[in-house]
Amino acid sequence: MAGAIIENMSTKKLCIVGGILLAFQVIAFLVGGLIAPSPTSTVSYLANKCVDVRKNPKNKWHLPWGNNPCEKIRNFDEAVSRQIEANDIVFSIHAPHPPNEMSPWFQFMLYILQVDVAFKLDNQIKNNAEITFNVSLGYRDDMVSEWQGMAYAEETRKLKCVFNYPKTKDNEGSYYECDVLPFMEIGTVAHKFYLINIRLPVHEKKGINVGIGDIRDIRLVGIHQNGGFTKVWFAMKTFLTPSIFIIMVWYWRRITMMTRAPVLLEKVIFALGISMTFINIPVEWFSIGFDWTWMLLFGDIRQGIFYAMLLSFWIIFCGEHMMDQNERNHFSSYWKQVGPIVVGSFCLFVFDMCERGVQLKNPFYSIWTTDVGTELAMAFIIVAGICLCLYFLFLCFMVFQVFRNISGKQSSLPAMSKARRLHYEGLIFRFKFLMLITLACAAMTVIFFIISQVTEGHWKWGGYTVELNSAFFTGIYGMWNLYVFALMFLYAPSHKNYGEDQSNGDLGVSSGEELQLTTTITHVDGPTEVYKLARKEAQE
Amino acid sequence: MSPSLAVQRRGNRGKRTMPGTRLLLRLALLCGCTQLAAAASSWWSLAMNPIQRPEMYIIGAQPVCSQLPGLSPGQRKLCQLYQEHMVYIGEGAKNAIKECQYQFRQRRWNCSTVDNTSVFGRVMSIGSRETAFTYAISAAGVVNAISRACREGELSTCGCSRTARPKDLPRDWLWGGCGDNVEYGYRFAKEFVDARERERNYAKGSEEQARTLMNLQNNEAGRRAVYKLADVACKCHGVSGSCSLKTCWLQLADFRKVGDLLKEKYDSAAAMRISRKGKLELVNNRFNSPTPEDLVYVDSSPDYCLRNETTGSLGTQGRLCNKTSEGMDGCELMCCGRGYDQFKSVQVERCHCKFHWCCYVKCKKCTEIVDQYVCK
Repeated sequence: MAGAIIENMSTKKLCIVGGILLAFQVIAFLVGGLIAPSPTSTVSYLANKCVDVRKNPKNKWHLPWGNNPCEKIRNFDEAVSRQIEANDIVFSIHAPHPPNEMSPWFQFMLYILQVDVAFKLDNQIKNNAEITFNVSLGYRDDMVSEWQGMAYAEETRKLKCVFNYPKTKDNEGSYYECDVLPFMEIGTVAHKFYLINIRLPVHEKKGINVGIGDIRDIRLVGIHQNGGFTKVWFAMKTFLTPSIFIIMVWYWRRITMMTRAPVLLEKVIFALGISMTFINIPVEWFSIGFDWTWMLLFGDIRQGIFYAMLLSFWIIFCGEHMMDQNERNHFSSYWKQVGPIVVGSFCLFVFDMCERGVQLKNPFYSIWTTDVGTELAMAFIIVAGICLCLYFLFLCFMVFQVFRNISGKQSSLPAMSKARRLHYEGLIFRFKFLMLITLACAAMTVIFFIISQVTEGHWKWGGYTVELNSAFFTGIYGMWNLYVFALMFLYAPSHKNYGEDQSNGDLGVSSGEELQLTTTITHVDGPTEVYKLARKEAQE
Repeated sequence: MSPSLAVQRRGNRGKRTMPGTRLLLRLALLCGCTQLAAAASSWWSLAMNPIQRPEMYIIGAQPVCSQLPGLSPGQRKLCQLYQEHMVYIGEGAKNAIKECQYQFRQRRWNCSTVDNTSVFGRVMSIGSRETAFTYAISAAGVVNAISRACREGELSTCGCSRTARPKDLPRDWLWGGCGDNVEYGYRFAKEFVDARERERNYAKGSEEQARTLMNLQNNEAGRRAVYKLADVACKCHGVSGSCSLKTCWLQLADFRKVGDLLKEKYDSAAAMRISRKGKLELVNNRFNSPTPEDLVYVDSSPDYCLRNETTGSLGTQGRLCNKTSEGMDGCELMCCGRGYDQFKSVQVERCHCKFHWCCYVKCKKCTEIVDQYVCK
């Protein structure tokens, strides 16, 4: 083949294409930074303390406010004086706060829990204390109808608290500092109002909720995606899907138009296009109308597939540019490098299934709450981490090899004829150019990731607020889309000579010269490196 | 000396001195001494009067606000607009007083409340360090309480309301979520607490203006203390729980920490005087000028050793002290050299207790005979 568009395109045209892509890239960042709000919002809740009046067993939901609210107490001193027991206390949280209502645009709800435990000299938190709650989650879609049960569970969490003052009588009443506890995760927000009732039952003989200190308050923090961000995100996906799909079809048509069968690199690029389209397809639109809790898991799987594909592509891309004598062009010859990717992604998949998969059944489940679960989760993550390291070692080594081969080639360049030299110089330049683009994309991802982790999430700039986190998401997402787009576009066979299976990329020189070029390569250079370079390129 | 006992004693003190102060007030009014009357009302009184249930405000509408003692005209207006907030302002003031009494439990001035209208009595009309602390901690208490009420879902104006028009509220909520409750608490406390100072105009460079500026500065310092101590907590929740998506939020610190910080600020408070231009300036230029987070005062503290009707000092007579301590709570310093009486008291304490996390305590009673010292 040779004749990929990248080789045949003049530098001027390449610059134009690059400029257009860059413009789109900037737009992608600006859309996130200026139009979209921050990706997620938090709502803090303080549980209202309801008293379970057992006279009325039908009234099993305890509502903090609104019509028919529960009987509240302000603090537990009041409970002591009224001789209310711990088992009669229900912590009640209504999400969201009045006068708002939840919306499917929020996509997911994540709740974490914190307990305020006051220090008391004779009622301290025991070592390895565990807190057990009976929790029920209900929903309704208007302010008057009955609450519908959604999930019930008895969950245990480890209570990790430290007391930063000296443990003296004087400091009684100060609070422990406790770690946040994962509480609940739901993949859709299909209802308008949610009600969470938490009980902390005490069972002295079984040792349940004993030695957890003097609890004063239960706080919850709800995290959900912002509706505005969801809208921008959907719009972006809806726009990107056809763009990538069209270029993919165009690319594959180009390849099938050739007389030879597609080579490995072409197939991999096509597969990359497919996985990108798979991510792009905005199936999330359905979450607005349907109660599909698995959407979060599905999103994770889609992303995982794309990452695995992208990592494999880099390996194969390097391998196919190795310019040595090994004949690869076969997926099996890359098992050593692709193996870690497969193992790593599989580990993460299993981990995700253990966490988010189980959460489909029990939204209060978390793998991190038990010792075995934590070890298992850590094991999966560590294996995945090792695989990733291994992969990067392979990749770096391969890139190093490619550059070594290229520099070897460059030393023999001056001995070549002018046309040939120009050709190879261009070839090497463009290969390096693409390597550079890849590196730039990766670096951008890493840099932006770090920025979004370190900074506050938004920058005030004049009168504008730039939402860094949103810009990070839309920008990086747009960037990889553009990357895949550019890859398919630039690596598609050039129309200038498709059908000619064995030719070297031409620079628009006359066919006579080209013939001469071919012969010189075959006869003069013979089995030298330059020939191999040409052959490798030809195989693409 | 156990703190609970001390609190109780202090409580008794307060009650005991109340009639006396009332009498004094009446006397003052008879004298036509207006300044005394002016010093004798503050929104702090919301902490003292039983204004408990928010329902009361819904039924009562306007009359309630005009009946509440201690509110300035601006605060009354705010009360009418945000009636549901008043209970929590009261709660905040109550917490502030409690914290103030904890922080000053070992001092000559121990933040005792005197009566239900002026709350701390005449000492507050002196622009002293103690006054500075009281203003700061009560402003902080309001931020804390309002923010807490927000999180309980008790106030409907929290969060989104910065974008004003309630009509847009659902849209803002859907588009970008609502602002955090700490910020709301801060803004509301600023409106409410500062209203009293802002609605009065004094001649430039006058003593009253100095006092107004001092109060404003200290209120701000108190509110900032809450804001500063609120720490950012974050949660990672990206793909497979990775940190590609991280959400952070502000959470308020334990109010005790706010008290500790303000106590530190109290110790390093800056003495100020009013300049001719009507600005506060340092008395001693060698020090750094105070930041908005620092406390300032304009008058030196009165002598808290002896009871003094003019300054409002209650004196330390009858206070418990610690015989062995060398610090402020030691009998030497606390009693200002007047000496102390010693007596034995039988303390019944709970011991060998079994607790549940709430409400259930089963204890044995242990009695102990302790020596106690009381200032002469």
